[in-house]
Formats: sequence, structure tokens, C-alpha cells
Amino acid sequence: MTITGIAGEAEAGHISVRGLTKRYGDLTVFSKIDLTVRAREIVALVGPSGCGKTTLLRCIDGLLPADGEISIDGKRVTEPPEGVAVVFQHFGLFPWKTVYDNVAYGLRMAGVDAAEIARRVPNFIGLVGLTGFEKAYPYQMSGGMQQRCGLARALAIEPSVLLMDEPFAAVDAQTREILQFELLRIWERRPTTMVFVTHSIEEAVLMGDRVVVLQGRPSHIDQDIDIDLPRPRSRETLSDPRFAELRERVWANLMNEARRAEFQLGA
Amino acid sequence: MTDAALAPDRPTMLPRLYAGAAIVVLWELVVRGFAPSYVATPFGIAMALPRVLADATFLKATAITLGAVAEGLVIALAIGTVLGLLIGRSLVADRALRHYVNACYAVPMIVVLPLVSLWFGYTGAARLATIVFAASFSIAVNVADGARAVPRDYLEVAHSFRSSEGRALFEIVLPASMPYFLAGLRLAAGRALIAAVVAEFFTAIPGLGYFILYNSRVFRHNDAFVAVLLLGGFGVGFDALVNYATRRYLPWYRRADGDN
Repeated sequence: MTITGIAGEAEAGHISVRGLTKRYGDLTVFSKIDLTVRAREIVALVGPSGCGKTTLLRCIDGLLPADGEISIDGKRVTEPPEGVAVVFQHFGLFPWKTVYDNVAYGLRMAGVDAAEIARRVPNFIGLVGLTGFEKAYPYQMSGGMQQRCGLARALAIEPSVLLMDEPFAAVDAQTREILQFELLRIWERRPTTMVFVTHSIEEAVLMGDRVVVLQGRPSHIDQDIDIDLPRPRSRETLSDPRFAELRERVWANLMNEARRAEFQLGA
Repeated sequence: MTDAALAPDRPTMLPRLYAGAAIVVLWELVVRGFAPSYVATPFGIAMALPRVLADATFLKATAITLGAVAEGLVIALAIGTVLGLLIGRSLVADRALRHYVNACYAVPMIVVLPLVSLWFGYTGAARLATIVFAASFSIAVNVADGARAVPRDYLEVAHSFRSSEGRALFEIVLPASMPYFLAGLRLAAGRALIAAVVAEFFTAIPGLGYFILYNSRVFRHNDAFVAVLLLGGFGVGFDALVNYATRRYLPWYRRADGDN
């Protein structure tokens, strides 16, 4: 367990999930999930549709209640904790706010003073490559730019934990690749703990230090695969034979269930 | 892009102009041919216009009525917004208040006039109360609809960034309900205008309504009609103002849905 302060800062972002079960009435989404994510580690969560990856992510952010225990840096999560930021699949930008005001939103909610906000926001807008678009509204931007803005908003609060909920699922394939490498570049500059939900196996292997496969009904952690690819990762990583090997390994794990799910007749 | 999109096309303008001209000509001819000489005609109104517009009584009446409408709208805005947000976001408030607010919205505002004129006397306060009653509930009903329709995604983001419920109400729910709020405001402005004029008819206190009533009774229908036109113009003008303000200050609205 860490203590806040300088020593705590270095180690902040340790997630511990113990015996987590989520039920909706009679339906159990997942049961008895145990997951530990170390500080500055990236864990990619994959699994078939409906396996509860996104639900698990929301539980970690304290947005949804569940049975069991979640703690971040030793503090039990009962509501969205300080120092945790989410990047949403739907971007979650406010259409009435400009890029600048959207990025400033998290800081304002955290009670950061105006001068500090004015200092920090342009940095993060620059970090995601949106300089010059400060006054643009979300409707004026492509999906890729909107998600850059969503990312800047999350990064601006300088979180120790970043929760990524299929962040690039709603953008086109080329933009997705560009954003993946941008995110890796940003992470290298300022490593934070990351839980990255995706349905793309390639993305999971590219981003993760570990790929955690969630499957079964109710789902549980089926595999926890170490991704021993070197960092920093870049486009070259994709042509590494080890990358192909790991991707096939994750795929083999998911395939059986995916086949079963695809050919399942309605009960 | 904005100018082209907002200016009506020429082909749609022309029929409108022709129809307008035809109505004016027909009105003039029918009144001249079949009606008593004191009935208002377009020509008679045009002749009366400079005199009436320079008339101190008329100007004072205009200032009084429009001032009362503006004051009433500001009060209605506050009441309607608070009521609407409460009903839209709080289940308890919704259960407790929704039907009463809907009932007040549905009741013709004229029915409260005998009551408010008893409470406030035949004064400007009676008119103001009628305006507030007429305008508040259309805003409340619309804001409540808007507050209910706020996408859950937005609220989830607010929650995730540790916003308090109160801040989310004013920073998320209210701006997200803006389109509904504006629809309510436009309805409210029309209702406020009617309420002001009817209150003046009923209580005979100075104002544009009374100006119309008085001039009708002394057979100066052309003069009365100048006031009618002014009221109509105010309604159209307010609508245009709301539209302009929407484009100018809420550029995201109307485009947000289509493009995302």
C-alpha cells in the first residue's frame, strides 16, 4: 500500500480487484474476477461481445456497483476516484463546449484554479495534436479529432490510472492505427497505469504488457498472457515475429468460444 | 454556408410576396365595397401610421405593455427553468408536481384573470401575474422534457470526472436541454403577449391592449390596427431574435445531431 506524497506519486496507480461479481437481476455478467494491475502497467482486456469487459471497466471507475472489492492504491472504490480518468468509446464530449472547454472540464471539476487551467489545457491540446483547434466544436471535427480531444480531457487531470473503453472502436481503420501509435508515444512520455478494453486482438497485443482474456457465461478471467514485446513499441512492432506469435496465441484462446457463440442457436 | 442555408430561396419568397400582396388588395377592396367607413383598411392603416407612431399615448402604452411582457418573461424564465429541472431530474418532484404543472399549462390563462384582479386589483400587478402564469408553465413543461432527454453518456462523463449532482444540473443538464428551453421560451413569449393584452382588455389599465380597446370603441379602427400590427411584429421579431441568438451563441445546436 502506498502513502500519498512524493513516494506515493512514483508508485501511484495500483489497481486491485478481488472476487468481483456483477449481477443484473438473474443475469450474472461476470463472477469472481481477480485482477491486479501494477503501477504504470498496461493491461488489455479482450473477450467476446457481451462478456462484460466494459462493465468491468465501469466498475473499476466506480460508475457501477458490484459485489466484491476494488481498490486503487489501497483505497476502496465506491465512487469515481480522484486520479482516475476514462476515455469513452462514444467520446463523451459536450457538444456545447469547444475543444478548449471540453479539455478544461475535468480540471474544473477537480477544483483546479483558473490560472493553472489556462496553463495546462494548451499543453494537453498540443500533446494530442489539436493545437489550432481550441475554439472548434465537436460537430466540426472528425471522429479521430474528437477522440483526441477526449484523450486530452482525460490526460489533463494527470491521472495515475487511465481507463480506456474501446477508445478507437468508433473511428475508421487508418485513424485507429494513427491514434494507437500516438497513444503509445504519449504513454512513453508519461507512463500511467492503463486498463484498455478492446475487441481487437491486434490492438490488445500492441498496447498491453498483459492481455487478459475474459470469457465464459458468466465470464471469468480465462487467460492472462504476458506480452514480452520490447518498448517503445511502434509500427515495427507489428512486423516482429513475436507479435504474430502472441496474436495467434490470444486468437486461439478466443476462437473456440467465438465459434461457439457464433453458431449458438437462440435458447 | 450559413447565409445560403438561412436565407429563404428566391422561388419560395416569390409566392409569399404575391400572396401577401393579394391579401392586402382583397382586404382593401372588400372593406371599401361592403363595410362601414370606420373599418380598418390597409390604406387607412398606412395613413394612420405616422400619426399613431408619433402619439405620446401610443408610445407610452407600447412601453408599458412590452415592459410588462419583458418583466413577466424574466420571472417566468426563472420559475419555469427551476420547475422544469426539478420535474425532469427528480423522480420525487416529477411524481409530486408533474400533473399540476401540466394542468396549469393546459388551463387557458384567461380563467385566472378574475381571480388575480381580485387579489391585485385593477393594476399592473394583475397584468404581471397573468403574464407570469401564462408563460411559466410552457417553459417548465419544455425544460422538463429536455432535462429528461439528456443523454446518459453526458451524465456518465460528468460522474466520472467527479462532478457533484448540483454542478451537473447546471453544467450538463441545462445546456443539453437548451433546444427544449428555447422552444419553451418561444411559446412563452407568444403566451405572455396574449396574457398582457387580455389583462388590459379585462382590467382597463393603460397599455397596448387598452389602446386597441379604446380606439375600437371610438371607431378609430385604423389606429387600433397599428397597435395590432405592432404586437404581431413583436411576436415575429422575438422569434427572429431567438433564432438569431441560437445561431450566434449556440452554433453547435441543430448541427450536432446531423453530423455526428
